[in-house]
Amino acid sequence: MNIAADNTHTRFDVVVVGAGHAGTEAAAAAARMGARTLLVTMSLDAIGRMSCNPAIGGIGKGHIVREIDALGGIMGRVADSAGIQFRMLNRRKGPAVWGPRAQCDRVEYAVAVRECIEAIPGLFLRADLVTDLLVEGNQVSGVRCQLAGELRAGSVVLTSGTFMNGVIHVGSKSYGGGRMGERASTGLTGSLHALGFESGRLKTGTPPRVDGRTIDYKRLEEQCGDLKPSPFSYMTDSLTADQISCWLTHTSPEVHGVLREGFAESPMFNGRIRGTGPRYCPSIEDKISRFATKAQHQIFLEPEGRRTSEVYVNGFSTSLPERIQMEALRKIRGLEQVHMLRPGYAIEYDYFPPYQLRYSLETKAVSGLFFAGQINGTTGYEEAAAQGLVAGINAVQRRDNRDPVVLGRSQAYIGVLIDDLVAKGTEEPYRMFTSRAEHRILLRQDNADLRLTELGYRLGTASSMRYERMLAKRKAMRDTRAVLEATPARPAAVNDYLRSVGSAPIRQAERVARLAVRPEVDLADLIRTTGVGKASIAPAPGLERVERLVETELKYAGYVERQEEEVRRMAGLRELAVPAGFDFAAVKTISMEAREKLARIQPDNLAQASRISGVSPADIAVLMVLLKQARLSAATHVSRET
Amino acid sequence: MAAQFKQGLSDTIAAIATARGRAALAIVRLSGPGAIACADQSVPGVQLQDMPSHTVHVGMWESASGEVIDQVVLTVFRAPASATGEDVVEVSCHGGDYVAARILRSMLEQGARMAEPGEFTLRAFVNGKLDLVQAEAVADLIHATSASAHRVSLNHLQGRYSRALESLRQSLLDFCALAELEIDFSEEDVEFAGRKELLALLERSDALLGEAVDSYSYGELVREGVRVVIAGRPNAGKSTLLNALLGQDRAIVSPEAGTTRDVVEADKEMEGLLFRFIDTAGLRGAAGRIEAEGVRRARRAMERATVVVYVYDLEVGLSTEESDEIDRLSERSEVIVVGNKLDLNPDGDTGLTGEQEAVLLSARKALDFPRLVRPLWERLAQVVDQNLEGAESRRVITNLRHVQHMERALCHVRSARLGVADGKPADLFTLDIRAALHELGCITGSVTNEEVLGRIFSRFCIGK
Repeated sequence: MNIAADNTHTRFDVVVVGAGHAGTEAAAAAARMGARTLLVTMSLDAIGRMSCNPAIGGIGKGHIVREIDALGGIMGRVADSAGIQFRMLNRRKGPAVWGPRAQCDRVEYAVAVRECIEAIPGLFLRADLVTDLLVEGNQVSGVRCQLAGELRAGSVVLTSGTFMNGVIHVGSKSYGGGRMGERASTGLTGSLHALGFESGRLKTGTPPRVDGRTIDYKRLEEQCGDLKPSPFSYMTDSLTADQISCWLTHTSPEVHGVLREGFAESPMFNGRIRGTGPRYCPSIEDKISRFATKAQHQIFLEPEGRRTSEVYVNGFSTSLPERIQMEALRKIRGLEQVHMLRPGYAIEYDYFPPYQLRYSLETKAVSGLFFAGQINGTTGYEEAAAQGLVAGINAVQRRDNRDPVVLGRSQAYIGVLIDDLVAKGTEEPYRMFTSRAEHRILLRQDNADLRLTELGYRLGTASSMRYERMLAKRKAMRDTRAVLEATPARPAAVNDYLRSVGSAPIRQAERVARLAVRPEVDLADLIRTTGVGKASIAPAPGLERVERLVETELKYAGYVERQEEEVRRMAGLRELAVPAGFDFAAVKTISMEAREKLARIQPDNLAQASRISGVSPADIAVLMVLLKQARLSAATHVSRET
Repeated sequence: MAAQFKQGLSDTIAAIATARGRAALAIVRLSGPGAIACADQSVPGVQLQDMPSHTVHVGMWESASGEVIDQVVLTVFRAPASATGEDVVEVSCHGGDYVAARILRSMLEQGARMAEPGEFTLRAFVNGKLDLVQAEAVADLIHATSASAHRVSLNHLQGRYSRALESLRQSLLDFCALAELEIDFSEEDVEFAGRKELLALLERSDALLGEAVDSYSYGELVREGVRVVIAGRPNAGKSTLLNALLGQDRAIVSPEAGTTRDVVEADKEMEGLLFRFIDTAGLRGAAGRIEAEGVRRARRAMERATVVVYVYDLEVGLSTEESDEIDRLSERSEVIVVGNKLDLNPDGDTGLTGEQEAVLLSARKALDFPRLVRPLWERLAQVVDQNLEGAESRRVITNLRHVQHMERALCHVRSARLGVADGKPADLFTLDIRAALHELGCITGSVTNEEVLGRIFSRFCIGK
């Protein structure tokens, strides 16, 4: 066999650079869709590593994980299998904002990710350092690696995390690195600059890790998992019953006093860190200087796994000198004898302001080049994974000459995430909150599969088994709802219950579904008291309770209708696409500010343009006219030619 | 966000189509699927619903409460054969902003929406009613009208209302921040707002909005006009001045003192503001019973006046009693002193004491030379501006748009109050507050998600 002619080891459809949460999802999605995919990482041992806290999900973030899962991504299943404590946050709030969260075993998590990756045919791994991009014209053609040399691919997905020009700070010490103990990747930023990309610096931080054997748990408050744990994945039928607790303690004025001694040496305060850090994830030094009147701050001690005594000190992110970190930790209740395994640190890294992207996450400047994860200015495993998934899908859509997959803001948190990034850019590490989603009540964690699995199935990322489970769930909900709509509840049967929850008794029989709309009424209780019985509830796969799903539908119905009306109204604007290369600067009849911002961001359509700050309704009206006119004139032109 | 696009092009819009100011007729236009129904409901007996396109009908336009506003001529154009390509009704009514504004107001009460600048033209364009060449001009037009609307709204946003709006926006933002805090940051170690505190914030917003709605455009000045009482001694030339101001012979004038025995009222619209002039019997120890009654009525009119124009005869001069009278009036209303008959006494003594200042003119000559009363108009406008939020009130149209947004905001705030009181979850009642903020945003500029988050981060220590 002629080795020179066999180029299968250097030619791929898609090359994904980086094997964190974005990279692994991107590679998995691309390969599932049938693309020959290479995942290049500096270290094969770091695949799927949780570099910060050992937890997945939360409010807003948990929604994203369920959406990733609904589309056939890997994060949900991995978190379910590596989870050591499961909690559904916000359970006492409306079901739209319930957020699943799990503590995970850091080692198990990485192992499970690698298992997932290795189970996918057509997905290849490679340990190497990517030093340059290969670009022909304005089209990417592959990457250059330190060892392997040139690798060819029609699409490249860049997921560099905090590694590009990463600089780690601990007190007055600072050195290049992508994560503690791992080297940074240099050079790529330069080649991206040469291609015309703008970059910026962001900052994030992580707390110290300590030895659990030296913690006095008797003095701490225990935080247990849910009695009935809820999974992330719609495919999960059971979860471990053996959960591990987290522990709660607090800082004190004494602790703050020690920390303040180190301020002079803090890279945060002496100006050595210039990158912007997230406001919602401040370092402990930030917290005590900005909220000086607060006498204490919560500290969660989170176990890193089942087979290690390493503990993550959540709430104590810091870049103060190691000596100060140690001294301050030992002033905290329960940590008086603590042994520190490694100090907290801050890390600065390069990111590329995401207005340089299309909605597909392909860069505007270089076709075939996709960015996903922290490189786009986001923070969090979930946000990264979501972008990876979308970039992986669109890399293959592009190969196949199909339209990019773009999720709407009313369709998924992933849609909100990408729209916020692309339409507005971000100046601090971007994290998801439910308040960012104006259609929040449509985007529930319990209906991500109903919203997205069909799409995933058509694309090839979601399996047929997943698709069938979703169909079965949908049918069960429909059947159950029909029974509840048809079944009357008699006053004698339900009035005692209604009174007991402070709800007005009924005089005549009322359909069960109508009573369930009342906020204070619990459908499960109602079903018990009316004697409709379990028979009314159709069975569905998975761990979700069908009556809970139906109840949410019933209680939200009016609001959902209102939101859907609003969504329809916005749809018109989305259809007004801005042609590639449209010269906003030449439109003299819109404001100067709008001209500048639109020219910089180059929105894909008018809905996006309308969400840019500084673009007024009048500006949109002018653009609407011009775009329609351009379209009309094109149509006239064509008809004259034919 | 663009209000007109959020609404889509599926609703019915209304606006006054004719230029503001004095004219024999004014046209108020409705366009959209509800245009015909709206006019039909307001004009009893015309049965517009059954009428074909391009037909003309006459009837009395009534407000929602059944009060007759004006006799109107209705022209019906059915889609697509209309200027905008939608169902259109053109309502011709008597001229002047006052009547037209009331008709517009009643259209809005029926569910029509105030048209945004350039929106009729935009709809015409979208519905293919304009060709490419005409379309060229549309962008400029929208730009121009919105620029002037913007100037107007900037005027608006200075002064008292901007402060009221700002505090309203702040209280809604506070509410949003507190409600979102407990949703997105429920795991944080911060103090969450109790339902009582949330309700208190909503009550505050409710009150502020209610106040703003009440005090805005169709407040007293627009509804009733600025009441200007013309007072003075008999034969000072009050009625002549009234006629000069109106530009017509409205009051009977004669050289005989005490000709005007009753109160004569007349409306005049200037620069978009309605002035209601009240000419009174001369103030003197009356000769007869009828005249005495006239004086009594004059005094009562003055008590209710927003502005008193006190006229004196330059030939006679201002007496001490009159000076005292002016001082007394000044305590209650704005007083403009007019020295009349300047033609007969070109350089005589004004008879004014220290602080008093007078507008000197000749009302008789002003009938022929309207510019002669110009200084008085200017003084009136100035007084209104200074003391009656005049800049506000004169922009009737823009105000109506504001009021509409505010009324919608008020609805949303009330619905949020109900939600909180009923124990609805925060993700539901925040929808109402977001909707209210959106309405307010149409006046003050939008409130973004980032702003809500920014407020949370600045006030609460977030981040485990």
